[in-house]
Amino acid sequence: MAKNQNDKKGILSTLGRWFRRMFFGASKELDVLEVEKLESPSKLAIKAFFRRKLAVAALIVLLSLFLFVFIGPYFFPMHLTYTDNLQANIAPNFSMLSVPSGLKGNIRDINGCSNFTVGVSNDNTLYMWGYTKDALTKLDYSKFPDIIEEGNVLMASAGFDHIIAITTDGHIVGWGNKNNGQYGAANEADGYISMDRVLSEAGFEKDGDYYKIPDTSKIEQLVCGYQATALVIDGHAYMWGNARNYDNMKTLAEKQSGDIAKVAMTNYRIVVMKDDGSVSGGKANFFFKQSAISSTQGKVESVGDYLKKSNVVDVTATKDSMAFLTDEGEVLIFGTSSYGEDKIVLPEEGKYIKLVGGSQHILGLTDTGKVYAWGYNSDGQTKISGKDADDIFTGSKQSYAVNEDDELTAKAGLRGYLFGTDNKGRDTFTRIVHGGKMTMTIGAVAVIVSSIIAIIIGCLSGYFGGWVDMLLMRITEIFSAIPFLPFAMMLSFIIRNYSIDENTRIFIIMVILGLLSWTGLARMIRAQVLAEREKEFVIAAKAMGVKESRIAFKHILPNIISVILVSMTLDFAGCLLTESSLSYLGFGVQLPQPTWGNMLNGANNSIVIQNYWWQWLFPPIFLSIATISINIIGDTLRDVLDPKSSQEK
Amino acid sequence: MGKYVIKRILYIVVVFLILSLLIYLIYNMLPVDKAAAAAKSEIEGNKLLDFNDRYEYWKAKYGLDGNILERYGRWLGIYPYSDGSFNGILQGNLGTSSFYGKPVAEVLAEPMKNTIFINIFATILALGITLPLGIFCAVRRGSKRDVGVQVGTIVGYSLPTFIIAIVFIWLFAVVLGWFPVSGMQTAGSIGWSSWARFWDRMYHFALPLIVMTFCSLGGMTRYVRASMIEALSMDCIRTARAKGLKEKAVIYSHAWRNALIPIVTLVIGWFLGIFSGSLMIENIFALNGIGRVYFDSLTRSDNEVVLALQMFYIIISLFGNLITDIAYGFVDPRVRVNK
Repeated sequence: MAKNQNDKKGILSTLGRWFRRMFFGASKELDVLEVEKLESPSKLAIKAFFRRKLAVAALIVLLSLFLFVFIGPYFFPMHLTYTDNLQANIAPNFSMLSVPSGLKGNIRDINGCSNFTVGVSNDNTLYMWGYTKDALTKLDYSKFPDIIEEGNVLMASAGFDHIIAITTDGHIVGWGNKNNGQYGAANEADGYISMDRVLSEAGFEKDGDYYKIPDTSKIEQLVCGYQATALVIDGHAYMWGNARNYDNMKTLAEKQSGDIAKVAMTNYRIVVMKDDGSVSGGKANFFFKQSAISSTQGKVESVGDYLKKSNVVDVTATKDSMAFLTDEGEVLIFGTSSYGEDKIVLPEEGKYIKLVGGSQHILGLTDTGKVYAWGYNSDGQTKISGKDADDIFTGSKQSYAVNEDDELTAKAGLRGYLFGTDNKGRDTFTRIVHGGKMTMTIGAVAVIVSSIIAIIIGCLSGYFGGWVDMLLMRITEIFSAIPFLPFAMMLSFIIRNYSIDENTRIFIIMVILGLLSWTGLARMIRAQVLAEREKEFVIAAKAMGVKESRIAFKHILPNIISVILVSMTLDFAGCLLTESSLSYLGFGVQLPQPTWGNMLNGANNSIVIQNYWWQWLFPPIFLSIATISINIIGDTLRDVLDPKSSQEK
Repeated sequence: MGKYVIKRILYIVVVFLILSLLIYLIYNMLPVDKAAAAAKSEIEGNKLLDFNDRYEYWKAKYGLDGNILERYGRWLGIYPYSDGSFNGILQGNLGTSSFYGKPVAEVLAEPMKNTIFINIFATILALGITLPLGIFCAVRRGSKRDVGVQVGTIVGYSLPTFIIAIVFIWLFAVVLGWFPVSGMQTAGSIGWSSWARFWDRMYHFALPLIVMTFCSLGGMTRYVRASMIEALSMDCIRTARAKGLKEKAVIYSHAWRNALIPIVTLVIGWFLGIFSGSLMIENIFALNGIGRVYFDSLTRSDNEVVLALQMFYIIISLFGNLITDIAYGFVDPRVRVNK
């Protein structure tokens, strides 16, 4: 049966060949030279390599990974010391800029402090978007309490892990995390300020489960900070929440002057603006001997005195700094500005009439209806500059511009994190790109160092033999007796005790890895050289009077290069693994400089493994893809370069 | 044979001296001054004492006076202290742990037991799986199952221990909840019967052992398979088959014996390698083994413990080479170890 089919096929192909020859002519005539052409072994090996699909796939994967980690850093810049606890432990998600369609056309307010944003529409409906969950506590902020209904929310504000909303009836509703006194009753002995106490002392009464404000028209402002909230009603600022985090919250909460116009909260300080255009931090020394950056004056010493002379019309805050706007349109930035918050952009025409702060960037609105932005631009949040706007809003890393009809006209900023964020709020994807560059560089340099040592020692010892061989092999044995991981840890620990700068330290780690891993290759090269040096071409070279060192490195070395190549490839994978193991244990490259190993430093506890799967899943995937493809390439190289094994298969 | 072993042991002694000197020198680069610390704490207790006086006393006591070679000699036990006594490693004194305040030997006794236990257990498990698997793959070379195992082993040996450990913890401890995430014993198990405590300990060791075994599968299986393939392509195998021997006899007595030679080297080398390799496992699973003690002592600058363990690792690897060479002679009658 099978034979018959073969015959059939044979007939068909013969017919096909005849057909082709009849109409398209015979295939190219081969001349004698071409038939007899010999192909060099390396060419054969390359051909054999590319015949193997798995190896080619591995090569493509590895090359794209190389491109990814060596070109990627230019596209995804990393702020090495950046940390943002407001963005910590966010799962992969891309909805942070997705303003719900119901809100887009009639925006009254948008605000956000961390990974989620709330918005209230003109028809009194509350919307929420972004990453609305807490992976650890399993809280879902987007599950509103029952009292929140469509069309009954007057205003809302989002903090780091809580939301406060005021209904049209005046009910003050809080939800989210309440462990640090964000809303409801809190233990004041722990340093928190209880919302229930503040509101009842202010004379509000409970209606059902919630405190109620009788006259909602008197509410001037509702703002949430890190884990705190301020509510301005009729010149009085009521504040509650995690006062342990705010060094002047208790002072401000106790002082009620009745003339407060606006409150702004950074992550650890609060400032109030009064009706008369002055600002205060509650404490006498709040502005004392502190400098600020002014848009017109440059650096201003003693910001407190400076502000007394001018009339402040708006105040806002980022995570670390505060911004004041005077009636002349001058902007003052006060506080830490590590992300360029003080690089104030001045409008081309007109003057600023409103400022809004995100977590590391600030938006300014001019009287001519233009919006300008400055500060941290990691995710394009300042790319809204120059757009027309009637009103401006920010999330933590988002900017929104709205026209006269309260329609969203422009938005910019962080859409989300592809691979989530780590426990310090750093983008895992960016760190994988930069960490990959570091890991690959360390692996490559270590392999080069170890190969150079191995080639020199192996060639010398194999070629010269005698006492040279004896000496070098004893040295090799001493080095191979060194237990790798403990010894590398010890060396790394010792250099950590010296104040060397980070790059030198990383270089030393590369050299250490190289110095500890050359022995196997050196032995292999020696054995190969021993075999090669007895061959005829070496005798011929000697007879021609070629220098010994030249024979060793120019005549013998090329013949064993295939062995070296294979071994280098496999060692490269080995070095990636040892580097990441060392860094994982905390003895390699130190944080905050990422590598694929140290990104997992601290991931081996059940909290991280259970709740933050993206933190421990993605770096290993990249590392594994790299090492697996390198190993496949190395194995295939060994097969195709070894004539014996390729005959077998 | 005896002459060869003696020669090798002499050689080991020389290498050990060189390496221990090297490590001692490197470790002395650390700015740790035990004598100053001791003198300081003594002065805090009694303000009347003079610091320099006490400092000199403790330096002499710890053998820290003199140049680095003298100190090394004292630590090793080949150079006398100022009072003329020898008290170093050769005399069985590994030093005193500054953190535990106990002799190092005492500190290391219990962890050493644990490490040896899990290593032997892991070796048995790994050999029990990899040898049959490697032989199976070699005999059925090119079959689908063989290709499957080959792909699996490439993945296995390309992954570092900590990644496998994290994935296994996630799967077996977090999702399935079969094993504890880390630790050595259930809290409050002190009062249990010794049998119950043994099972409790085995229950805690299970996941680390599974991870260790899994990590060794990749490389070992490939190695066994390769040497078995080599052995199966020998002429004697063809002869054996031509004689009409059963396939089982061909594989297990003719080929296997030949394949064993490189495998023995690997197994011994690997067994000794996991002493330092289990450092990773012990740290991930918080097992009280010498690897963990080494890690902790290093971060606490507890010199004496670190140095003692370094010496242990070196001795293990030096004797490992010797044992490998001798074992070679046993499995391969052609190799005569008497050169």
